Amino acid sequence: MKLHTVEVLQRERFGDHALLRYRWTGSPPEPGQFVMARVASSTSPTRSLDPFLPRPLFAHDYDGEAMRLLFEIRGRGTALLAGEGTELLVSDPLGRGYTIDGGPVALVGGGVWVSPLKLLARHLARSGVAHDVYLEIPAAAPEAYAAWISGSYPDATLVPTGGASDASRAVLESIGDLSRYAGLYASGPAPMLDAVKRVSRDTIPSQLAVRERMACANGSCYGCAVPVWEAGERAYTRACVEGPVFPGEVLAW
Amino acid sequence: MVTRRATVVGTDPDVDLGVKLCGILLATPLIPAAGTLAKETLGEVKGVYGAMLPKTVTPRPRAGNPPPRVAEVSSGMINSIGLQNPGLDRFLENLTDYDVGLPLFVSVAADTVGEFVAMCERFAGEERVSAVELNLSCPNVEHGGLQFCAGPGTVREVVAACRVPLSGKPLFAKLTNEGVVNNAVAAEEAGADAVTLINTIPALVLDPRERQVSLRGGLSGPAIKPIALRAVYEVSQVVGVPVIGVGGVTSGTDVAEFMLAGAAAVQVGSGSFVREPQEMLEEFAAYLRKNGLRARDLADALTER
Repeated sequence: MKLHTVEVLQRERFGDHALLRYRWTGSPPEPGQFVMARVASSTSPTRSLDPFLPRPLFAHDYDGEAMRLLFEIRGRGTALLAGEGTELLVSDPLGRGYTIDGGPVALVGGGVWVSPLKLLARHLARSGVAHDVYLEIPAAAPEAYAAWISGSYPDATLVPTGGASDASRAVLESIGDLSRYAGLYASGPAPMLDAVKRVSRDTIPSQLAVRERMACANGSCYGCAVPVWEAGERAYTRACVEGPVFPGEVLAW
Repeated sequence: MVTRRATVVGTDPDVDLGVKLCGILLATPLIPAAGTLAKETLGEVKGVYGAMLPKTVTPRPRAGNPPPRVAEVSSGMINSIGLQNPGLDRFLENLTDYDVGLPLFVSVAADTVGEFVAMCERFAGEERVSAVELNLSCPNVEHGGLQFCAGPGTVREVVAACRVPLSGKPLFAKLTNEGVVNNAVAAEEAGADAVTLINTIPALVLDPRERQVSLRGGLSGPAIKPIALRAVYEVSQVVGVPVIGVGGVTSGTDVAEFMLAGAAAVQVGSGSFVREPQEMLEEFAAYLRKNGLRARDLADALTER
């Protein structure tokens, strides 16, 4: 995997969440694409191999000069990314993202998975596609994060929820009548994606961004298996090259 | 011995990277480890590898294991993919996908000796295929699910049986670390033309918060390099056939180390997920240049201390 050395422009922390901005002059990300990212070692001419794998992170936003990644700090890899250092190693934008068709559409997100929806909203606006944004804000989320989300998605309907179990229901209820939308774009925890998939079945096309552990990120290792329907049979496909965004009807959860 | 002077992208033309493996000339000693290089990325690695080695193929399609399939550990990763592959028929239909101007090696796995043999029969007449690597780290259903490479007896049995249909093609036996010396000797005695050492090492990750096993699978990456290096070194002392080294290679120096330990060629696996094999090859070429050596000289270049 080719990783480019890039300059870190800014880091922000919101409790367990981090925002990382770096200079990016490579190919621009499509909404729903991701990058593999790891810290650059200041002591080694190559890089430290511990942690071994780069982390797959959604492209949160891109303004033509700087890429933004928004992620949850879960382990050593993400903690290091959120930590210090003026340089970073990142891949080109990877995977298949959201397809933009006609509007109006609803964007549905929850937790840290709201990340790819920012770039999606930007592209929808650029394409003149009317869209509404509905985001779940968990009650347990730090205030700073909630404040930042509401600032970052100024037109979004924010839905406070008690926890993952009722999040999907609460967000979908806040949307009300779905039939006014030509499509649903979602990025959230599995129960939310599942709920969007169920309510949209047979009526409204949905595009869901899945989140899987990855190793190679180029289709080689088959580590990021996602169950899908293939010719009526359940099979595993690869989130890194066939996804991470899938049409709802394809996912065989 | 006349060896083709390698013309390899980005490396010093004065450095001779060519090696000979079972009579096959390889422009570089690097080979992708089975299951670590997708067809989709073949274009990116032109001029880097000396041979192509696709993901292990089995007699019938395999869906693979449910996720999660990978986990990170200190200086390495654990995988439990479950040999997901489209099966032998589809693989053979699409064999031209691997036409990249390099010798094509295939990795095969099966549940029984009979199925291994049947697969080798199909590949025996396949002109595109230059060699067959037996993945012996799969369960032998006729022996209670023990791996074929669990002991010299089954290694000997499956290699000898596959030797028959593959009379005209090199046959490699890929072995796990446990019992590697005895198993490699058994493979050689049964007619293997080379041994590939080592497969991933059985390992496990626990989640203490959830108090459950997160993943059980095969450990790869820099964490296993010293183990693989010892296997290559010790086996090279006792077998006459070439050894193909694999396990935790992430740099050109690692490639040199495996060849100094006795490997005739080196496979790169999960290391290619975190670094470009091209960079490793350039580092390897720089090592050779600095030391005034050719790749094929390394196996005899180790000095006694």
